[in-house]
Amino acid sequence: VPSFILTPASSLGALAWPAAPVSGAAPGVTVAERTGIALCNVLARRDAEAQLADRVRQHFGVALPSEPRHTATSPVAFAWAGPSQWLALGQETDGRAFELQLRASLAGVASVIDQSDDRAIVRVGGPRARDALAKGLHIDLHPSAFRPGDAAVTAVAYIGVHFWQIDASPTYEFAVFRSFAVAFWDWIVQAAAEFGVAVVQAPMR
Amino acid sequence: MSASPYEQPGFRLAEGGLVDRRVVLAFNLDGRSFTGLSGDTLASALLAAGKRIIGRSFKYHRPRGIITAGSEEPNALVELRSGARREPNSRVTTIELYDGLEATTQNGWPSVDFDLRRINSLFSPIIGAGFYYKTFMWPAAFWERVYEPLIRRAAGLGRAAGLADPDHYEHANAACDVLIVGSGPAGLAAALAAARSGARVIVCDEDFLLGGRLLSDRQEIDGVSGAAWAQSAVAELKSLPEVRLMPRTTVFGCYDGGVYGALQRVSDHWPVPVAHQPRQRLWRIVAKRTVLAAGATERGIVFGGNDRPGVMMSAAVRAYANRFAVAAGQRVVVFTNNNDGWRTARELHAHGIEVAAIVDARAAIPDTLRAGVAGRILTGGAIIGTTGGRGIRAATIETARGRETIACDTVAVAGGWNPNLGLAGHYGSRAIWREDIAAFVPGTPPKGMAVAGAARGAMTLATSLKEGDAAGRAAVEALGMTAFAAALPRADDENFAIQPVWHVTASIQKAFVDFQNDVTAADVALAAREGFRSVEHLKRYTTLGMATDQGRIGNVAGLAMMAALTGRSIPETGTTTHRPPYTPVAIGAFAGHHRGKAFRPIRRTPSHDWAQRQGAVFVESGPWLRAQYFPRADEKNWLETVNREVRSVRDRVGFCDVSTLGKIELHGADVGAFLDRLYVNTFSTLPVGRARYGVMLREDGFVLDDGTVSRLADDRFLMTTTTANAGRVFQHMQFCHQVLWPQFDVQFVSATDQWAQFSVAGPNARRALQAIVDPQSDIGNAAFPYMAAGEITVCGGVAARLYRISFSGELAYEVGVPARYGNSFADILMRAGAPFGIVPYGIEALGVMRIEKGHLSGNELDGRTTARDLGLGRMMSTRKDYVGRVLAGRPALLEPDRMSFVGFRPVDPSLRLRAGAHLVPRGAAIDAAHDQGVVTSVAFSPSLGQWIGLGLLQRGPGRVGERVRAVDPVRQDNVEVEVCAPCFIDPQGERLRA
Repeated sequence: VPSFILTPASSLGALAWPAAPVSGAAPGVTVAERTGIALCNVLARRDAEAQLADRVRQHFGVALPSEPRHTATSPVAFAWAGPSQWLALGQETDGRAFELQLRASLAGVASVIDQSDDRAIVRVGGPRARDALAKGLHIDLHPSAFRPGDAAVTAVAYIGVHFWQIDASPTYEFAVFRSFAVAFWDWIVQAAAEFGVAVVQAPMR
Repeated sequence: MSASPYEQPGFRLAEGGLVDRRVVLAFNLDGRSFTGLSGDTLASALLAAGKRIIGRSFKYHRPRGIITAGSEEPNALVELRSGARREPNSRVTTIELYDGLEATTQNGWPSVDFDLRRINSLFSPIIGAGFYYKTFMWPAAFWERVYEPLIRRAAGLGRAAGLADPDHYEHANAACDVLIVGSGPAGLAAALAAARSGARVIVCDEDFLLGGRLLSDRQEIDGVSGAAWAQSAVAELKSLPEVRLMPRTTVFGCYDGGVYGALQRVSDHWPVPVAHQPRQRLWRIVAKRTVLAAGATERGIVFGGNDRPGVMMSAAVRAYANRFAVAAGQRVVVFTNNNDGWRTARELHAHGIEVAAIVDARAAIPDTLRAGVAGRILTGGAIIGTTGGRGIRAATIETARGRETIACDTVAVAGGWNPNLGLAGHYGSRAIWREDIAAFVPGTPPKGMAVAGAARGAMTLATSLKEGDAAGRAAVEALGMTAFAAALPRADDENFAIQPVWHVTASIQKAFVDFQNDVTAADVALAAREGFRSVEHLKRYTTLGMATDQGRIGNVAGLAMMAALTGRSIPETGTTTHRPPYTPVAIGAFAGHHRGKAFRPIRRTPSHDWAQRQGAVFVESGPWLRAQYFPRADEKNWLETVNREVRSVRDRVGFCDVSTLGKIELHGADVGAFLDRLYVNTFSTLPVGRARYGVMLREDGFVLDDGTVSRLADDRFLMTTTTANAGRVFQHMQFCHQVLWPQFDVQFVSATDQWAQFSVAGPNARRALQAIVDPQSDIGNAAFPYMAAGEITVCGGVAARLYRISFSGELAYEVGVPARYGNSFADILMRAGAPFGIVPYGIEALGVMRIEKGHLSGNELDGRTTARDLGLGRMMSTRKDYVGRVLAGRPALLEPDRMSFVGFRPVDPSLRLRAGAHLVPRGAAIDAAHDQGVVTSVAFSPSLGQWIGLGLLQRGPGRVGERVRAVDPVRQDNVEVEVCAPCFIDPQGERLRA
C-alpha cells in the first residue's frame, strides 16, 4: 500500500459545479465540464494513412474522417485535428491505459500520445449557444454551414480550441488546453450571461 | 428662461410624425430640464423645445445649431451622460432620446449661449488656414512649453470622462448570404428580394428605426405612405427565419474577403446598460454578397453667414417636420439649386409651416415645381448674408433684380446630394464624377458588393426601389439561388435636376465650408494662392474634412471651389480617399471583452490552487500566472523570502512547478535525424533513458532556443523548450517538417499541458522522492545518474516521468505526473519531504539559482546572441548540417570582438548590481563610444552573500579578472565590477552528480 495517494482534480474545480443560471433567466445556454474521458492524439506514420484508416475500421468500426468531422458512433470517437492527425476520445478514466490500448491496436501505422490531461472538455449547449459562441468564434455555426459531427480547429478569445458539434439542439464540445480552461470558462460564461447561463452536469456517455 | 421665441416650447406640430405622444420622456441639458417624446432624437426634442444654440465652433467659438438630422452632423455635438459614462462629441442628431438622458454642451465657456472665447472671432482675419503652421514655428523652445499647451487648452471639443469605462463592450461574428447596408427604399427592396428567395440576409442601419428616407419624406409606395410601406416591409422581413435586422448598427468598414466591420449601439438608448448587456458590440460580418444601399447625404451651399443657428439642411428641416412632427422654425426661406429644395417647400407648406420664400439659384424653373408651394419665388438668386444674434432673423438675397432682405427664423439649404459611397471606396476604388447629378458616385465596388439606390446616384424613389430589387435578385442568383418573383413596388417617379452652385461668391460675410473645423471659403482661396492645390493638400492645410464628421456636408463644395480657383474641372481636381471607419467608433468597442484582467487569457499551472492555498505571491510570466515566492508570516520582504528559499534548496531540498516549460513529444523512426537538423548538436546518438542539453538556431545563425531532449524509447523523445519560446519552437518544427524535410517519419504534438512537472532540487532531493516513487523504480545514483530520463510510476502505479536534470546546480530531478494530479502531487511532496526539510520555491528563487549556476535564460537568448557568444561554440557539430549552420559562419558573427557571455561581481561586495547596466572600461568616458557590453541578469546570491550578475562583454571570456564599470544612466548607478566566469557555484558539477 503506497504511503501517499494522488487525488485527481479538474482544471476548472468549483467553477464547473452545477449551479443555477447566472442571470436568473431560463438558461439560453448551458455549460458543463465533461470528465471521465480519455484523449489521445493519433498521428499517422509516414505514408501510413490508408493503413491507419483500415486499422481503425477494423478495431473500432468507424471510418476515420479525412475532413474536419467527429465520429461519435463507436466507443472510441475520432475528431479530425489536422492533416494526418486525430484526437481519439475513449470512454475511460485512465489516459495511460487508453494510450497503451490504442498503441497496441495501431502499432506501426500511427503514433499515439496521451492528451487526457492536456485538454479540458467543455460542453456548451442550449437554444442560444450559437449566439453566445458567435461572440468569439469566427466560424459560422448556422445549421446550413456547421452540422452535428462537424469539427474545427480554431481560436476563441485568443484561446486555441478544437471543437465539434454533438447534436442539433445544438450542443458543442470544446477541447481546450488545460492551462486555458479557466480563461475559456470565464469567457463563455460572460458571453452567455445575457441569454441566461447555467452550469450543468455533463451526461456520461 | 429667456424671452427669445426660440427658447419657448411650441415647435411641436399638432399631429403626424413617428413619435409616440403618449410617452413623454424627461431629459436634461446643462442642468435644464426638457421633455421630448418617444421616437425623438435629442436633436428633434431640442428643436421642439425651441433650443437653438447647441455648441460653439471649434476655432472662432461662433454659436452653432443643429444643421442636419443624421450622422453627418458637424455642429451639434454634446457630451452625453455624466461621470465615468460621459461620452464627448456625441451628435445630438443620432442620440435616441431616453427618459433621464443627461447631456452637456461643449466648447463654450462659461456657456454655449454666452461664450467669452467668441473674441477669437475678432482675430479671425489672422487665424485662417495654416495659421498654426506659420505662427508657432519659432522660437522652437516655445513649442513644448508655450504653444502646445495653449493650443491644447483652446482646442478640442468635448472632454473625455477620464475614468475607467464601467460598461462592457464585446465582439460578435455573423455570416450571411447577403448583407444589406442601409434600410431605405433601395435597402428594403433588396432585402425583400433576397430574403423572399430564402437567402440568409442581414440588414444594418445606423438609425434606430428602419426605413431610411422613407421615414422623413412624404412619398407614396403602393398607395400607402413611404413610412407605412417601410413598416410592412420590416414586418415581413422580421417574419422570415433567415433574416437578421440590425437597427442602431453602422457598417463602418469593408475588409478582405467579404468581411465587414459594424458597430451596434446595444445600450446607448438606456441610461445604464441592462444587466449582462454590453454598451456596444463590434460585429465582424462575413457576407457572400453585399448590397450597399446607404443612401445619400444632402450637402450645403457656401454662402455668407451660412453657419448662423437656424440655417439647416433642407432635407433635415423636412425630416424634422415629417418624422418628428417638429417645426424647425416658424418662417422658413428655402435656398436651393435643385428640385429637391422645392419638395421641402411643398411639404412644409402642407404642414402649415410658413415658407417665406424659395430662392433658387437657377434662372429657369420648370413650372411643375411651382405646384403646391406658397411664398415668394426668387429665381436666379442667392443668399449673400444673414443677420441675427443667437439665431437667424433675416437673410439677404441677391438676384438680377437687386438685393432684398427677408425676415425668417430658418433657412433650409438644398445644395444637392452626395451618394454615401464610403464603403465602396475602402478598397481604393476612386469615385466617378457624374455631371447630371453633380456628384461623385462609386467607382468599381469591392468584389461581392453591388451599390443600389441613392448611394449609386439614383435620385428618385422609383429608381431606388427598382435598383434595390435588382441588386437583391442579382445577389441571390450569383449564389446559385432562384430569385423570388414579385411585383416591383410602385412609386411615382419625379424629376431630379440640379445646376450646382457651390459658393456664393457675392457673399458679404464669412462663408463656411467645414463647420466643425471652421474652414471658410477664404481659407480654400488662401490654400489655392499658397500652392496647396491638390485635394489632399487642401485637406491637410485647411483641415477641411478632418473633423469627426469627416466633412460629409462640405467636402465636395470645398474641392469644387478649389477646381474653380485653379481652372480645373471637378474630376481633374479629384476627391480624397475614403477610409474606415465611416463614422467614429469607440476604442472600447475594438477592445471588446479584452480589457483589464481579460486583456489576454491567463494560463494557470497545474499546482495553481495548491500554491494559492500556500499563500504564494503570483507573477505574470508571459501568459502564465506563476508562483513568484512563498512568503512566511515572519518575513519582512520578498528578498528575505527568496534568500530563505534558495538556502533551503542548497542546504536541504525544495521544489518548484516548472510545468510552463514547453514540452513536445516526438515519435517516429526518424526523430533522431530530425533533431540532428534542428539542433546544433547531435541527438541521434542519444541512448534510450538519457537526456541531453541542446541549442537550436534560427536560419540566420542566431540562437532560437535551448532545452533538453530525453529519449524515452527508441522511437519516442520528449523535447523541452523555454517557457517563452514554446509556441515559436513548435511552429519552427512544423515548418521544418512540413516544408523542408517531409521525408522524415516524425510525428509530434505539444504535451505542455499534459504534465504537471516539478523540479525537486537539493542534497535531500533523492530521499524526499524515494518516499513517493514506487519501489520498483530505482532512482539511485547508479541506476539513475545525472542526465538519466525514464518512465516510472509513483504513489502506487500512477504513470510518471523522471528526468535527472538540474537548473539550480543541485542534485535535482524533474518529475512529471499527469496534470490532474498537480495540486495533489505538490501536497504529497510537502508531506513526503517534510522530514528532509522541504520547501516550495517560486520562480524568483529559481532565477537566483540559475544565475548562481550561470545558466542561460531569456535575458541572454534575446535573439541577438550566437551560440559562440554564449560560450556554446563547442557544441556546434562540424560533422552534420543543421538549421542556421551556414549563416552562423558569417564573418561578422565570428568577430573576436563580439560581446560574449561572462559573470560579474561588484568589487565592493556591499554594492548592488543592476540588470541593464552598460559596461564601460575603467577611466573611460561614459558614452556610447565606450560601451562594451551589458549586464543581462542580476541576483542577490545568498550563497555568496553579495549581488552577482551575468552579461555580455566584448571579448568577455578573455577578460576574466579585469575590472570594468557597470553604469546604469537611468538609475544613476556606477559600480566597479570584476569580470568572472559565469558559474558562481560548484563549477566542477559535483553536486549535480551526487
